[in-house]
Amino acid sequence: MSAAAQIAVKDLKLRVRDRSAFIFGIVAPLVLAFVFNLVFGSVFDATTGLGLEYGMVDLDQSEISLVFGGVLEEVEADGILTIENYANEASAERAIEDDEIDAYYLIEDGFGEGVVTVGSPTIRVVGDIDAPTSTQIAASIAQQFSIGVEAAQLGIATTAIMTSSQITPQLVGSPSGDPSSAAFSYQLEDVSAATKQLDGTTYFSAAMAIFFLFFTVQFGVLGLLEEERDGTLARLRAAPIGRLSVVGGKAILAFLLGVISMTTLVVATSVPFLLNADWGAPFGVALLVVAGVLSAVGIMGLVASAAKTPEGAGNMGAIIAVVLGMLGGVFFPLGQGDDLLSKLTFLTPHAWFMRGLADLADAAPWTAALPATGALLIFAGITGSIGWVLLRRRLER
Amino acid sequence: MADILHATGLVKAFGDLTAVDGVSFTIAQGETYGLLGPNGAGKTTSISMIAGLLESDAGEVLVSGEVISTRSTAGKSEIGLVPQDLAIYPDLTARENLAFFGRLYGMGGSDLVSRIDEVLAVIGLADRSDDLINEYSGGMKRRLNIGIGLLHKPQLLILDEPTVGVDPQSRNAILESVERLSDEGMAVLYTTHYMEEAERLCDRVAIIDEGKIQAEGTRRELVEMVGQKDRVTVSGGGDLAAAAKSVGEVAGVSEATPSDHQLHILTDEASSILPELLARISESGGTISGVEVLEPNLEAVFLHLTGKALRD
Repeated sequence: MSAAAQIAVKDLKLRVRDRSAFIFGIVAPLVLAFVFNLVFGSVFDATTGLGLEYGMVDLDQSEISLVFGGVLEEVEADGILTIENYANEASAERAIEDDEIDAYYLIEDGFGEGVVTVGSPTIRVVGDIDAPTSTQIAASIAQQFSIGVEAAQLGIATTAIMTSSQITPQLVGSPSGDPSSAAFSYQLEDVSAATKQLDGTTYFSAAMAIFFLFFTVQFGVLGLLEEERDGTLARLRAAPIGRLSVVGGKAILAFLLGVISMTTLVVATSVPFLLNADWGAPFGVALLVVAGVLSAVGIMGLVASAAKTPEGAGNMGAIIAVVLGMLGGVFFPLGQGDDLLSKLTFLTPHAWFMRGLADLADAAPWTAALPATGALLIFAGITGSIGWVLLRRRLER
Repeated sequence: MADILHATGLVKAFGDLTAVDGVSFTIAQGETYGLLGPNGAGKTTSISMIAGLLESDAGEVLVSGEVISTRSTAGKSEIGLVPQDLAIYPDLTARENLAFFGRLYGMGGSDLVSRIDEVLAVIGLADRSDDLINEYSGGMKRRLNIGIGLLHKPQLLILDEPTVGVDPQSRNAILESVERLSDEGMAVLYTTHYMEEAERLCDRVAIIDEGKIQAEGTRRELVEMVGQKDRVTVSGGGDLAAAAKSVGEVAGVSEATPSDHQLHILTDEASSILPELLARISESGGTISGVEVLEPNLEAVFLHLTGKALRD
C-alpha cells in the first residue's frame, strides 16, 4: 500500500473513532432532508397534491364544454386537483360556503355555439374569498384552455375565409379547428432541461446531501492542518515518503468520506418508507456524485491551503459552504432565468449538481448528467490544482 | 568509528533573523552528540535541517553518505526523529501508532510486529500497548514519542529536548534508553538546555548560542578550554596545614588551602589523583570526616563563553 493510502487509512480510522464525520456526513443531511421535505416539500411538489378542490357547473353540455371537462379530469387523474360536477350554480355556491370546494367553473349555455360562431364564449371562475391561491390556479387553468379555444377560432375563421364556406361543426372538427387539440398541445409541450424540476423529496434529499458534503470532505482536507498543529506533520515529513503523499493521503480520505456520505444518502433517501426520493439513472447519479465530491475536495483543499490553522480553515470552509449552498439553491430553488442571481447560481457546484439531477429526472438516460458532470469536474480541476500547488509549497518550506 | 552525520556550514534565516549561522559538526557511529544551548539558540532549526524538515539557505547535510533535503527521500530512512513536541496520534493505541509509522518506513508483516514488541519493551509500554494514547500519562507519551523514532533502527537518532515537561522517573527512563541505544552503536544527536543531561549522556557537546557553535568538544575539553579546575573540599581536623603542604606537592594540584576544619584543593582532574590526596592528608596528621568533589560544569563553561546562563 502506498504511503498516501496508509495515511488515508490511518485518518479514516481516526475519523471513525471521532464519529463527527458520521454525524456531518450522514445523520445531519438525512435528518434535515426529512425536515425540509416535511416543511416545504408540498410547496413545489405538484405531484404530491396541493389539496385543490374544484367544482364544475356545465350548463352548456356542448361538445366543446365537455372537452374542457375532459381536460380537468385528466389533470385530476394526475393527482393535482379534484373536480366535482354540480347541476347548477346554487349547489356549487353552497359547496363553497361549506368549504367542500375552493372554486368552481361555470360554463353557461351557448358556450359551444359561441366558439363555433367565433363569438366571445366565457368560462367563469367563481372562487372562495378565503382561498385566493386556489382560485388563481383555477383561473389559470381556464385561461390556458381559452388560449386553445382562441387558437381554434382563428383556425376556423381562416379556413372559412380561404374556402368561402360556412362554418359548420364538421369544420370545427378539422385538425386546424379542434379546440381540444389546441388545449392538449399545451399539455404535451416538450419539457426542456432548463424547466425540468425534481420532486420535493428528491430535491431536498439532494440539496442536503451536496450541502453537507462540503462539511464532510473538510474532515479529510483539514487533517493536514491538524497534523501541523499536533506536531505529527514533522514526523510524516521526516519519513522517507514522497512529499506529496501527505497531501495525497488527505485528498484520498476526503474523497472517500464524500463518496461514502453521498452514496449512503442516495441509498437511504431512496428507501420507499423513508423518503422515497427518485434520483434518476444510477450511473448518471454516480457520475454526478463522484464529480460533486471531487469539486468539494478541490474547493475545500483550496480553503485549507489558504488557512493557517485548522480552526481558521474550518470557519472559512463553513462560510464558503453556506454561501455556495445558498447561492446554489440548496435551501430553496432559485430561478433559472436571465437575471444576475440565476447566472451566479451556476458559479457553484451545488447548482450544477442539482441541475444534473434535474436533467436525469423523468427517466432520462444517464448521459443527461454529462453536461453537469463536466461542469463539476471543471470546478474540481481548477480549485484542486491551485490548492495542490499551494499545499505543496507549504510542505516544502 | 565511521561518521554517520556530516553537517557542514548550515545557514538558515527567517527574514532578518539568522537563526542558524554556519553550523558544522559530525557524529560518529555509537557517539552521542549534544547541542547545548538556551531556548532560541538555534538547536531546533539545526536539527530540522538535519532531519530534512527545513531547507537550509546554505550548507549541506550528509547522513550515511546521502544528502538530506526536503525535496528528497534519500537518507531519511537512516534518521529517527523524536520531535520536541509530542508527535503521536492520541486516538490510536501505542501499537497502532508504531505500526503506522513503521509502514511509512517500509516495514511490514511479522518483522514489523516483532520490532514493535521489542520497542514497546524498550520504552516500558508493553503492558499498555493496546490502550489509546489519550489515556496515557505525559511521561508515557514521551516514551512512545521516542519509541516511534527508533522503531526502524535508524543509524542516527535525533532527540529534540525529549525530557521537557517530563516527571523525574520518566526522565530517568528516557536517559537510560538513550544510553543503551548509544551503547548499541546508534549515533545520537541530543539537544537540550539541561546541562546535567548533556554531561551525563554526551560524548561530545557543542555549545550553541545565537545560531552559532561557540565551542565543541568533550566535557573535559570544554572545561579546559575555559581554564576551569576541579575543586576538592576535604572536611576533618588534625594538622591541616601540614596536610595542605603535602598535598600541594602532588602533580596536578595548583592550590591547597587549609581553613577552619576544611582543606580546599584545586586540581586539573580530581578523579585520577583523589586516592593519593587522601593518603597524603592522613600521612601528614590530618583526619578526614568528609570529601566533596566539584568538577567545573558546562553551565560554567556556557556562562564563560556567552556571558549568560543556560536558562536565560
